[in-house]
Amino acid sequence: MTLVLTSLALLAIGAATSLLLTRVPRLALNLGMLFAFVAAVIAVIAAGDVLIRSPSQSTYEAAWPLSLGTARLSLDGLSAWFLMTIGVLAACVSIYSVPYMSSAVGREPVPVFCALFCGLLAALILLVCAADAVLFLLSWEVMTLTAFFLIDFHHERPEVRRGAWMYLVATHLGTALFVLPLFGILFARAGTTAFSSFAGALGSADRTTLMALFALGLVGFGTKAGFMPMHVWLPAAHPVAPTPVSALLSGVVVKTGIYGLLRLLSWLPPLPLVCGEVLLFVGVVSGVMGVLYALAQHDLKHLLAYHTVENIGIIALGIAVGLLGEATNEPTLAVLGYAGALLHVTNHALFKGLLFLSAGAVLHGSGTGEIERLGGLARKTPANALMFLIGAVAICGLPPLNGFLSEWVIYGSLFSGSIRGIGASGGLPAVGVAALALMGGLALACFAKVFGVVFLGTPRETGLQTHSIPTGMKTAMAALGLFCVLIGVLPSLWVPLVRSATIELANVPMGEFSTRIDGVLAPAIRLSGMAVLFVLAIGGLLVLRRWALSRAARRDVGVAPTVATWGCGYTQPTPRMQYTASSFASSLVTTFRGVLWPERMFAAPAGSFPATAHVETRAPDFAEHELFEPVFRGVARLFAMVRTVSWRGESESPGVAQSAAAHRRGPVRTLTIGMVSALRRGSIQVRLLFIVLTLVVLFLCEALSSVDRVHTTTGQDYQHTLSVGVNR
Amino acid sequence: MTAVRAVLFVPEMLVVLALPPLLMSVIAKTKAWFGGRVGPPWLQPYFDLHKLIQKNAVYSKTTTWIFRAGPIISLAALLTAATLIPVLSNDSLLGFSGDIILLAYLLALGRMFTVLAAMDTGSSFEGMGASREVTFGAMSEPALFLAFVVMAVATKSLQLSEMIGPKLLPEWQIAGPAMILVVGALLVVLLTEACRVPVDDPATHLELTMIHEVMVLDHSGPEFAFITYGAALKFTLLGSILVHAAIPHPEGFNVLSPPLRVLELGGLAVLVGAIESAMARFRLNRVPMLIAGATVLSAIAVVLVLMRRTV
Repeated sequence: MTLVLTSLALLAIGAATSLLLTRVPRLALNLGMLFAFVAAVIAVIAAGDVLIRSPSQSTYEAAWPLSLGTARLSLDGLSAWFLMTIGVLAACVSIYSVPYMSSAVGREPVPVFCALFCGLLAALILLVCAADAVLFLLSWEVMTLTAFFLIDFHHERPEVRRGAWMYLVATHLGTALFVLPLFGILFARAGTTAFSSFAGALGSADRTTLMALFALGLVGFGTKAGFMPMHVWLPAAHPVAPTPVSALLSGVVVKTGIYGLLRLLSWLPPLPLVCGEVLLFVGVVSGVMGVLYALAQHDLKHLLAYHTVENIGIIALGIAVGLLGEATNEPTLAVLGYAGALLHVTNHALFKGLLFLSAGAVLHGSGTGEIERLGGLARKTPANALMFLIGAVAICGLPPLNGFLSEWVIYGSLFSGSIRGIGASGGLPAVGVAALALMGGLALACFAKVFGVVFLGTPRETGLQTHSIPTGMKTAMAALGLFCVLIGVLPSLWVPLVRSATIELANVPMGEFSTRIDGVLAPAIRLSGMAVLFVLAIGGLLVLRRWALSRAARRDVGVAPTVATWGCGYTQPTPRMQYTASSFASSLVTTFRGVLWPERMFAAPAGSFPATAHVETRAPDFAEHELFEPVFRGVARLFAMVRTVSWRGESESPGVAQSAAAHRRGPVRTLTIGMVSALRRGSIQVRLLFIVLTLVVLFLCEALSSVDRVHTTTGQDYQHTLSVGVNR
Repeated sequence: MTAVRAVLFVPEMLVVLALPPLLMSVIAKTKAWFGGRVGPPWLQPYFDLHKLIQKNAVYSKTTTWIFRAGPIISLAALLTAATLIPVLSNDSLLGFSGDIILLAYLLALGRMFTVLAAMDTGSSFEGMGASREVTFGAMSEPALFLAFVVMAVATKSLQLSEMIGPKLLPEWQIAGPAMILVVGALLVVLLTEACRVPVDDPATHLELTMIHEVMVLDHSGPEFAFITYGAALKFTLLGSILVHAAIPHPEGFNVLSPPLRVLELGGLAVLVGAIESAMARFRLNRVPMLIAGATVLSAIAVVLVLMRRTV
């Protein structure tokens, strides 16, 4: 715990230093990121200490200066697992940020960026270590706001403002409407805000309360995590943020939603089966739709943002199996599901962090993230290509990298669920298996597209500059890539670390866990063996190839070994003839057009001498345009009707402006709208009418609720209401 | 698992690795027989491999190390997968609980690198083939995994050698219809993954209509030998899963079992050759329907096998 406090203190110093050194931005950047790096490493050490040793909780309590309660920090297995994830990614990102942001020194307020970066990191650490509802919500809010300002860093661009705004609105709606009520109910039942008291207070809760709590948590934390259809802020905010921030957003900020959900589940007694089934459904939808939308994107960071939605879906599948296991008292299932979800949390942070950093390096070097304009980068920046390839293989869940390990555990949990007949007698886990398989195949298609088009082939645009990537950025990516490889090849060193966090979630004793996890670990060791075998096979084939080629080279000396690509007879290929990313994805996008609704604008070449042709495809987000936009437009219209002040430049409020459609309104709507707009115009008679109506309603309520109270209190209430009304 | 079995694995593995080109030859002979021709010699695929390994390789100027790594990683993934699949006996060399997932993802790894090697050439033809390969590959994954679910539920195991082993024998008596559906789905997956008619025509001569062949247009010499051999090995491995699931042999080691398996695989090759002779390749936009059909077959089989247990 001392280590965590040290880390927080360092971050505070880092933030203060960078703000004090505004005049020397380069020094501020170096110092701020140094502090962030050291703090992140210390956080990893603190977390690793808890994870490696047997779970020993150490709690730190501080008297709260305000009268809200006690600020409790504690580091249990679950906190430590997320703290480690945050620390590892943040350490790499802070190394990466120094060269990445140094090009912006002088043009943009880099010291402010550093201060916010330290602030975000501190909020994240505080959030996962908080053991008190008030402290949790406070750091939740600090995290939201620092992340907002970081996303909004390039605020001169309109799409950046839009993305940042969407993020702020979405997470605040989730927090205000769902997370706050959730903690309200918990506080009401427990009588205190300490996390430790929640579990006991919920032991006797009835089914309805439990399900209500779960639903609130699912929507509230799910907004942060990006479950479909609450994911709309992710593809808007991730791409517009500066790259280090995108990596942190996708890697860890989104995961705080998962952390919140898991923290809630650790308090709840085994939930009804339906909760797990709902979460499984949410996971399937998020996963499959996330990867399908990713497939249809044309922008590198947009695509990666949708893959975050997919991977959150995979994590949800794991948690869902954990819930099903708890509900049916199958500890093996609970352990497998939760362990798989937790492993995927970390693995996703690592490979998605790597992919975002690598995509950032592409942006940094070429100045664009548009997939169709890039090409042939593997020749210009081979190191970055290798890094992206490692990330791509890992995110597709392919062996022998880390993505395979966690997907393997989640597959195992789903198969076990089916074998044991849990969740609609085993049918739902089978759906999960099929969905996960489909996600794997589609992710492979998507990353074959990205890597093939951006890094392979020849450059599509001659004008694009490519400068080399600074060593600092390469170091950060190499570190993340190394983690991806090591976890995948040596799972037996890694999986035991998830032990204490899983025990807390699955509610199984330590001895029980050891026997259960042995069944999982024994095959995990075999994965290392298979990796060795795979490398040996590669080595053997390389030797064979070298032997064959050298023998052939000795025989036919002077034969040109390199020629142009075979063009089926055409000998003058140009870069523009390469297959494009849209063409590559089009067969899948067309196959899944029933769920994706892609838009296609096509101007066919016409006439004997066609001059131009034009084709444009995009896949607008269904949830954003069909679900939330109508709702928010309706809300905006409602507010426009009651708004009495309008700023200049706005011609007419939309509620009144669309009078063309007014005659089609029914009588009820006409009356309501008429009255509301009359109120808005400030007609005194209508206001008086409202006061009278309010009074009548109040009288009726009072009269209906209790006859006794009418005699004693109505008079006062009447007086009070009337005075309020008159004061207006 | 006795020491004798461990020793016997070495010759078994050698036979498994030597068998694939012969199966290709069986398919070619079948097609020749349907066409009224004599067909190439039985050992022609071996001659082809020998010829290719002696040749020099020619590389396109656009390619990078990915192009050279593609065939090697793909074949290495298949060789690793070969140790997990029971081919001649009821056991696999290195099987463990959960190996089916590794197996499927090793095949996917091979697909990823074949596709990337194709994209590395910058040719639009190869891009086209790559796009089709990932499309059909992605769509066949659910069919394969749902078939795995059926066999996992039936045998209560996650190890391939057990899932398609003797434990499946009673399942054929109790849930025969489900197993028939699974075998049907696996056949479609085999035809898709191994790029045979009606998904892909390995004998077509127009690049526009190819899938697998167009992706490997630029490969030559030893690397093309790896690819040719890898395609045959993939057919053999997926074919043995199909054959083992369709005809489970009883428990224990039987001297007759391995030769019988070779004959069954030969029978499968004849069947594939007959399919190729009897029907044309589907139009490319109809192929997803075929694969979706296989997924539906697997899904119905899952329902059947789950219902049987609850009743």
